[in-house]
Amino acid sequence: MSGTILENLSGRKLSILVASLLLCQVLCFLLGGLYAPLPAGHVTVLGSLCREDHTRQNDTGFLLYSRGAGACTPVVREEVERDPMKMANELVHVFQMPLPREQRDLDYSRWQQNLIGVLQVEFGYDSSSELREPPRELQLTIDIRLAYRNKGDPANAWKLYAHGVEHRYLDCVTAHVGSTETLYSCDMIPLFELGALHHSFYLLNLRFPLDTPRQMNLQFGHMHDLTLTAIHQNGGFTQIWLLLKTVLFPFVVGIMIWFWRRVHLLQRSPALLEYMLIYLGGALTFLNLPLEYLSLAVEMPYMLLLSDIRQGIFYAMLLSFWLVFAGEHMLIQDAPNKSTIRSRYWKHLSAVVVGCISLFVFDICERGVQLRNPFYSIWTTPLGAKVAMTFIVLAGLSAAIYFLFLCYMIWKVFRNIGDKRTSLPSMSQARRLHYEEVQLLPSLIYRFKFLMLATLLCAALTVAGFIMGQMAEGQWQWNENVEIQLTSAFLTGVYGMWNIYIFALLILYAPSHKQWPTMHHSDETTQSNENIVASAGSEEIEFSHLPSDSNPSEISSLTSFTRKVAFD
Amino acid sequence: MDISYIFVICLMALCSGGSGFSPVEGKQKSGRGRGSMWWGIAKVGEPNNITPIMYMDPAIHSTLRRKQRRLVRDNPGVLGALVKGANLAISECQHQFRNRRWNCSTRNFSRGKNLFGKIVDRGCRETSFIYAITSAAVTHSIARACSEGTIESCTCDYSHQSRSPQANHQAGSVAGVRDWEWGGCSDNIGFGFKFSREFVDTGERGRNLREKMNLHNNEAGRAHVQAEMRQECKCHGMSGSCTVKTCWMRLANFRVIGDNLKARFDGATRVQVSNSLRASNVLPGLSPNAAGSSSVGSNGLILPQSVVYGEEEERMLNDHMPDMLLENSHPNNKIHHPNMPSPNSLPQGGQRARNGRRQGRKHNRYHFQLNPHNPEHKPPGSKDLVYLEPSPSFCEKNLRHGILGTHGRQCNETSLGVDGCGLMCCGRGYRRDEVVVVERCACTFHWCCEVKCKLCRTKKVIYTCL
Repeated sequence: MSGTILENLSGRKLSILVASLLLCQVLCFLLGGLYAPLPAGHVTVLGSLCREDHTRQNDTGFLLYSRGAGACTPVVREEVERDPMKMANELVHVFQMPLPREQRDLDYSRWQQNLIGVLQVEFGYDSSSELREPPRELQLTIDIRLAYRNKGDPANAWKLYAHGVEHRYLDCVTAHVGSTETLYSCDMIPLFELGALHHSFYLLNLRFPLDTPRQMNLQFGHMHDLTLTAIHQNGGFTQIWLLLKTVLFPFVVGIMIWFWRRVHLLQRSPALLEYMLIYLGGALTFLNLPLEYLSLAVEMPYMLLLSDIRQGIFYAMLLSFWLVFAGEHMLIQDAPNKSTIRSRYWKHLSAVVVGCISLFVFDICERGVQLRNPFYSIWTTPLGAKVAMTFIVLAGLSAAIYFLFLCYMIWKVFRNIGDKRTSLPSMSQARRLHYEEVQLLPSLIYRFKFLMLATLLCAALTVAGFIMGQMAEGQWQWNENVEIQLTSAFLTGVYGMWNIYIFALLILYAPSHKQWPTMHHSDETTQSNENIVASAGSEEIEFSHLPSDSNPSEISSLTSFTRKVAFD
Repeated sequence: MDISYIFVICLMALCSGGSGFSPVEGKQKSGRGRGSMWWGIAKVGEPNNITPIMYMDPAIHSTLRRKQRRLVRDNPGVLGALVKGANLAISECQHQFRNRRWNCSTRNFSRGKNLFGKIVDRGCRETSFIYAITSAAVTHSIARACSEGTIESCTCDYSHQSRSPQANHQAGSVAGVRDWEWGGCSDNIGFGFKFSREFVDTGERGRNLREKMNLHNNEAGRAHVQAEMRQECKCHGMSGSCTVKTCWMRLANFRVIGDNLKARFDGATRVQVSNSLRASNVLPGLSPNAAGSSSVGSNGLILPQSVVYGEEEERMLNDHMPDMLLENSHPNNKIHHPNMPSPNSLPQGGQRARNGRRQGRKHNRYHFQLNPHNPEHKPPGSKDLVYLEPSPSFCEKNLRHGILGTHGRQCNETSLGVDGCGLMCCGRGYRRDEVVVVERCACTFHWCCEVKCKLCRTKKVIYTCL
């Protein structure tokens, strides 16, 4: 029985492999840093005021727009101020995206992927009415109509995309206290999320119906500026991101096929760790699959949800893999039969499952419902926010339990290895003979530790990368000519890193086909090292007849080695 | 003792005559700077019918300078925003000063006259406020108009966001569209600042003290708009987490900016020019690199609060010469400096002054430093308003100085402040009137389309200055 490539690879080859993978990592980072723009751009639109046409008020196909032929005549704000009723129930707030720049009408491109709109509200109370505290959780009722138009359509050919009467809760602070009017400025409220930015122009019509019997919007004195910020993914970022995915996809698929063929060449059924590796590779391939190309042709509003699910599956797989990886190196041989997820790890993995399911439910409640109603957000109602928070806290708790458990298992692995090493000298003479190769143990442990270290490093870099991405705010000047877009660089860097990490795992944990005794190397420098490994192999062949070592799923000689010691 | 005093005066007059400050004194009449005529566009057209007005309308033509006309011609839609901005400034000024003797009254605009009247000819506090509020209003209103989409020439300012290699080869606007697609556009606020500098500051070349005062106040107005900008962020990463975050700047309501400027008006600094240059650029954040990128924070946009000032002792020495000049030109100025400089230190100071001025010509017009009239006061910061001469009392009508007086103004009987009848009416007494005001009240709304109100009659007592 042979070990994995990790144990058999010479130090020199290993260093070459690691160096080339590191180079790829740097390339991924620089790709994002040097070429990609910021991940997301935004358009800030100030609402224009149009006069309501009461005859067509209930006709949802009736849309007012502020630019282009047939646009409404804007109502000037001074006119509203002069009106004793502040033109209540007579105004429509109109937002037309994107804005013209540099004498050109810009349009959204399908490369820009998705559109998220948030609204900022300012309103004023008549100070004379009553002195009020800054209002909290005011219910605002908005009649929202979202419409689109494509490039080449006539200026009035707006088509309704979605219509809804939505409630939002506002938290406001006092911006100005005057003798006549008190101004409030409110926290932004999520307005809509479109998973597919399929059309060229978008139009939003907002109405704030005032109604005394139904107690609608009466607390709002009168609306001042409404600012809509529409956030889209930058086209350049999508292109770079897709390029990265397209390049990584065939590599990972290729290495998976190679790995699986190698496993099948062996005269045994694949071990659990090998299954886990291939599942992990599968999850990564699913994540890498450049589905976004389809969105350039087809309207796919479920892209946001799908990308969340793809990332979720990948992270769930990665977390499970670490647990199983640590578990398989625990060196406790209580069950003689082949370990499966069901038999050994269902308790360990329950934290991952609970966490993932709660995040999935949350995502379905948020982005799943948005497929039907783009104005929906679970955060907008106090109850929904509580439910959402419950799911997130649940996910956070399971993450904490998971990490505590993982740390405990890793600590146990290292303690077991240490125990075995100290117990060696006290063994019987007969066994000692077979352990003449004790000197090879450090190199195997070193490589095992090496991978543990790489995992830790990757995890730490991911966390650090996201924190830095939050703190660094934009680009970083290398020198006068080179600017690094840190946010994008971290995103592509982290994405590339996990690809490279799994790529390396698939290579290094593939079964080795080297036949130890008949091995010959032209490479002088690695000869001695390989010899030691070779003798370890022969030792293993001998020990494989030991009764305890009936487990055919053994893939790591280190594991088998320490198990034999445990048997002593 | 007397002889030595006269000697000192003579020496100072000599020195200051040589140091080239005489324009302040000599060109008092036209010394208001020439950048103020554009205010007139507020009255040229009512804002709601401004859109069809052509830029070559003779009334507009006469109020704008050549460079301003060019800016208006090159940026379609900007005229409407400027008219709105000027009106915004007037209404805000009148709101802030509704309770003061000077209530920011505008005169019926006619060709060649200033909108705010002759008060602008004096470098007093009120003038400083007018300059600051108009400059701030233009900045605010241009930035708003860009966000509303009424100005089509607002810059995309993609330079820092995109390094798309293929875009560099494309010409002009085609590259703009490509860049929008590639890396998006920045906030519109930067355009408002740049345009305001170009438009409002034309004609203020900063050559004399008054022009420097105008420039400083214009910059202060813009600085207040900038200081009130707030950063807002939205997380939109996986499942709405903060792995991806987008930030943008939000403009404050202009009323808030007006409040802040009014507070600075109350604490305005009386200044005179000094010789050392401002070491730092006044608005460094407005370089295209920093103005409002989407995830770039506010760091780049916030003004440095501390301006680097020259050596303390040098300032002490040099302060007194323009001061003397001001005293000569305004005999009613009663402020005297207790510490006269020793005669032998003056030539040195004068020499430094000349050096400073010579260097200043080479520099940008925003590189100057104003020092407080009273050396014990703090030097003015970039957000402080500055003025040159004390304000008149505004009590009596004086057409020569463009003062309307407070006759017939309403006042508040119970107040002890400036709006109280005692101060407002300058001790002339006041009249009490009772009026019945009819207002709409207890309104009920029905969605859709119906509003029912009652009419309420309330008695109000009005006090009017005699």
